[in-house]
Amino acid sequence: MIEKTAAPATKVAEGRSLFLKGDSVPIALLPFFAFVTFFLLWPISDVLIKSLKGNSGEWTLSNFEPMTHGIYLTAFQTSIELGLITAFIGAVVGAFFAFVIENYAGRKLTAVLDSISAVFANSGGVPLAFMFIASFGANSAVIRILRGMGLDLYANGFSLFSLTGVAFVYSFFQIPLMVLVFKPALKGLRKEWREASMSLGGSNWDFIRRIAVPVLFPSFFGSMLLLFAGGFSAYATARAMTVGNVPLVPLIIGTLVDGNVIANKANQGAALAVGMILVAVIAMTGYVWAQRTTSKWQAR
Amino acid sequence: MRKQFVLGLVVAISAAIVPAVSMEASSAAAKKPAPVNYATCASLAACGGMDALVKAAQKEGTINLVTLPRGWANYGEAMDLFHKAFGIKIVDDNPDGSSAYEINAIETAPQSKKPDWVDVGITYAQNNENLFAAYKVVNFKDIPTKFSNPDGRWTSDYAGEIALIYPLGLPKTPTSLAGLTDPAFKGMVAIGGDPTSAQESLMSVFAANMASGGAPDDVSKGIAWFSNMKKIGNFVTVPATPANFASGAYKIGLTWNYNCPDAIATSAKAGVKIQCAIPSDAQLVGTPYIAAIPANAPHPAAARLWNEFMYSQNNKGFLTATLPSTSGKTGSAIFNSIMGGQNIWVSGGAVPTMAVALAAKGMLNDPPASVLPAKGTPVTPTVSQQNAAKALLATEWPKVLSN
Repeated sequence: MIEKTAAPATKVAEGRSLFLKGDSVPIALLPFFAFVTFFLLWPISDVLIKSLKGNSGEWTLSNFEPMTHGIYLTAFQTSIELGLITAFIGAVVGAFFAFVIENYAGRKLTAVLDSISAVFANSGGVPLAFMFIASFGANSAVIRILRGMGLDLYANGFSLFSLTGVAFVYSFFQIPLMVLVFKPALKGLRKEWREASMSLGGSNWDFIRRIAVPVLFPSFFGSMLLLFAGGFSAYATARAMTVGNVPLVPLIIGTLVDGNVIANKANQGAALAVGMILVAVIAMTGYVWAQRTTSKWQAR
Repeated sequence: MRKQFVLGLVVAISAAIVPAVSMEASSAAAKKPAPVNYATCASLAACGGMDALVKAAQKEGTINLVTLPRGWANYGEAMDLFHKAFGIKIVDDNPDGSSAYEINAIETAPQSKKPDWVDVGITYAQNNENLFAAYKVVNFKDIPTKFSNPDGRWTSDYAGEIALIYPLGLPKTPTSLAGLTDPAFKGMVAIGGDPTSAQESLMSVFAANMASGGAPDDVSKGIAWFSNMKKIGNFVTVPATPANFASGAYKIGLTWNYNCPDAIATSAKAGVKIQCAIPSDAQLVGTPYIAAIPANAPHPAAARLWNEFMYSQNNKGFLTATLPSTSGKTGSAIFNSIMGGQNIWVSGGAVPTMAVALAAKGMLNDPPASVLPAKGTPVTPTVSQQNAAKALLATEWPKVLSN
């Protein structure tokens, strides 16, 4: 799995052979390029152009100014906070699960857990929100059982329909996603290295501190950035769980471009989207760096 | 003296012009009538009369409607009746979409998929006036001028009132917004969505503001009401959708009263009895929605026929279930035999824009018993009051509710 995710990054890192060495671009990739053009490059350029235009079509930078203060700034802070919290929880818990599965689960169990992780990591949107509302809403089964046992979560300040609640729900796909992307890295941690460390008189702790952590950190960090990008930009789940009480950038963009109330601020939404793209580019640059460093250890 | 002179002049001039105009009209009628351009004809007469309009619409065969939910103000009945009466196919694209989607569809959809008629929030109509064709329905004079374009490019069509919707058998029966702060309603109250995104929720804030003694110029008392409701745990920030209701995430919703008849019927099928009531301390009628025909409508004759239908006043006509076969009848005979669109909206719980005129003529049917409005003088916030509220909500709403 990590080989798969690592592959494009290493291609980029090795660099340019695709175009400079005179290789003809394989025809087989044309659909891929068409896909990228239609669903990535075109929308990005469209959003970029809209963000630089006013309502009467004039060029302006005024759409970016409101992002430096007030509610839009708060929204970026909240979205980044949500991305970081869920990425951190997902990364730590997911890495732990990955470690346990990799070291203690048999082959069959591993296969089953892999499939389960793949399913959970890809669940999201309205169905996911509804699953949690039905299980952890104010009058839901789990909450009522806990209440029966004397633990009233809602009386103690918990609410599913808050930033905490959204972060809680996001963990549901972040943790298994971490398992999926991080487990192959653990596989790359060779038994021989541990034996070598032992034979040179290193303790378990030495192995962890001097070998395991430095080798694994880049891929741990890279995976966390991947999780961050997911948590930062998710839309439908949060939208199905809140009524504007959690100011997240994707929700505000939705309000500006597809609402029934605010009619003339679609370009403002485009400017916020450009802001999100910038954050994502920064995160993905870190991811590419991490992948490059990781591949150093995994190259054969 | 001077006024009288001007008046006299006006009378003299009009006296000179009127015969000239009518003479021109009669000489045109004597000649063979020019073919009608349905994309630009601006009244039923200019479109060649009802028989010709129905024929042209039937020739087009289809009407593209967008974002009309069947349960919303009884649009389902209107669409079924129109289809059965005239045999015109109805394409209702993206029934749960937003006003912004409708405007987008006019601007960017391929010609054959463009909407023929839209029902949008008022700011969307005002901001996009040039997208719409000028068309005055036969009963144009009965449409209040307050929320309409004088050329008929866009006209108010119906409005709703904010109602409480709740299941039977709650520990207490909610009757007012102020009463919702009762501890008996802990964890029960919800609204449809984000008030900066959903008109219904924006009006719910205005209703709470009214119940808290605030004037529509400043909704901060309404925001404070929600803030307090959140603090005491009665307001849950989950969107009031049927799925979330079924899961028990909330019990009492604030909604447009014209969503009540369908919601009540749907729930009854699932064995849950719910009912609606207008809160006794807030009679809030929303700004009317706006009907408009896009200038680039792919089926301009069908669009105009549908528009005439939705603004027709007949209060005793056939409904889908009772309408006999219409084959062989003239367009105007069919049109005059079916229930008018205005009273179909009434049957869905909405207040049609011609309500006052219809009531004066004794042609306004009774609304369904489930949504009978409370007594009192309803308030409708103006567009500028709404804009002020939106600006305040954009910053204050997330702030007061985030914790």
